[in-house]
Amino acid sequence: MFHVVLYSQWKWSRLIIALGSVAAFALPLVSVQGAARPDTSPLQAAELLQSVQSWGTLYPVLAAALGLLVAIATWAPDHRGRHVHALSLPLPRWRYVLLRFGGGATLLAAPVIAVAASALLATWSATIPAGLQGYPVALAIRFALAVLVAYAVFFAVSAGTARTAGIILGLIGGVILVQIVAGVANIDLDLFGKVQVAVLNWPGPLAIFTGRWMLIDV
Amino acid sequence: MTNAIEIRQLHYRAGRAFELKQLDLNVPSGAIYGFLGPNGSGKTTTIRLVLGLLRPLAGRITVLGDQIPDAAPRVLARVGYVPEHPHLDPTLTVRETLRFQAAFYPSWDWPCAQRLRREFELDEGATFGRLSKGQKGKLMSLLALAQRPDLLVLDEPTDGLDPVVRRDVLSALLDYVSQRQATVFISSHLVHELERICDWIGVMDNGRLITEVPMQRFKNGIKRLRVAGAPPTAAGAPFMILAREQANGGAETWVVRDWEPEMAAYFATIGAALNDVIDLDLEEGFVELLRTFRGPPS
Repeated sequence: MFHVVLYSQWKWSRLIIALGSVAAFALPLVSVQGAARPDTSPLQAAELLQSVQSWGTLYPVLAAALGLLVAIATWAPDHRGRHVHALSLPLPRWRYVLLRFGGGATLLAAPVIAVAASALLATWSATIPAGLQGYPVALAIRFALAVLVAYAVFFAVSAGTARTAGIILGLIGGVILVQIVAGVANIDLDLFGKVQVAVLNWPGPLAIFTGRWMLIDV
Repeated sequence: MTNAIEIRQLHYRAGRAFELKQLDLNVPSGAIYGFLGPNGSGKTTTIRLVLGLLRPLAGRITVLGDQIPDAAPRVLARVGYVPEHPHLDPTLTVRETLRFQAAFYPSWDWPCAQRLRREFELDEGATFGRLSKGQKGKLMSLLALAQRPDLLVLDEPTDGLDPVVRRDVLSALLDYVSQRQATVFISSHLVHELERICDWIGVMDNGRLITEVPMQRFKNGIKRLRVAGAPPTAAGAPFMILAREQANGGAETWVVRDWEPEMAAYFATIGAALNDVIDLDLEEGFVELLRTFRGPPS
């Protein structure tokens, strides 16, 4: 069963996976492009760190984008058929959901492998100044986890009906509205700060997206 | 006789506008059961409840001896379903769609699938999204038949198809039923089509089952009578008067249900004369039945 579900998802996601894998492969190589010279001095090491850090902001963006787009593509065939075909198949619903989730997660292995391969290649080919170290495996693992978290969140949202998505968007909109009203009324209320702390700080569910994404670091 | 589908006291509500109330329905095993009703009467909703796609508020549904929705996966493995609208992945080719379906059904019959694909002249390489309406209908019927089901649930399977495609699909269904003794639960508003193939008939209107009888009894029991000299009220009639209309020359036309030939004697007892008894086809009977259900006889 899994292979046919995987194949159907491949047909919907192949462009996303292909472009995502190209971007994922390019990112580590581009981030160390200035470090391929053998005469790298301590000043250039600082430049290298700056370059790696600035390019590093794109890893969580890429992970989130891949998670979002693959999650949408994962449910697309079922949404198109209003889930009638999926619901009439002879297997429990939880198992079908697992098959769909597994299919998308398997396809996302391609950009993760691309990051891992490219990060290894980049650290191997670059001349890393003394005092700095390459972390290709750690970066690839972190990228894999971020992709998985983003995919899981958007998979859950996309699995629902338009009504579910509306409720979620309504909640987000409500928080924004309350914050705006509080700002206008000079009320000391910092909803975003609290939400940010709860969601983005460890052990928040999206903490993996924050912090520095460094292929090369001290 | 056992029932392939048994519904007892089913209650389901979809918003404020529509509800199924106290629905009882029996589809005998081996029967071809025609499920008739106007648009919006609840046919598709009932079918989705039978398959476990929707959950009832109350009542019991038994399909092939198992409870729905609890045992839905086990039941669905023995049910071939053709829904009202095409619902398959539009990016998959015919070949890929067959492979997809085959992976979920242990009883999938590849030789049967290939034979039907050739008979239906379906191009293996064409994607579902690019098939014509008729080809989509054929493919969905093919999928339902190739899984060798004990029960076929068909929701308007030939709706919008041209007569040639309709004939192809129906003859494939009938071939299968005659070979496998399968049960067929088919909804349609193409009444003449059901008249040809069904041996049981159930009529829905406004979320309620109006009648459920063998086809022969339904057709034989509904007649149009030409009556002369009848009093304004026909008390004590042994049949049900569905409609009563003035005809030419002071005569009347009655449409009656539960008619038996010996009931002709009744007219002498009310001082009237029965001039003619005319058979109605299923469509006329269906229309008269709905008219009676929705309002008092004229």
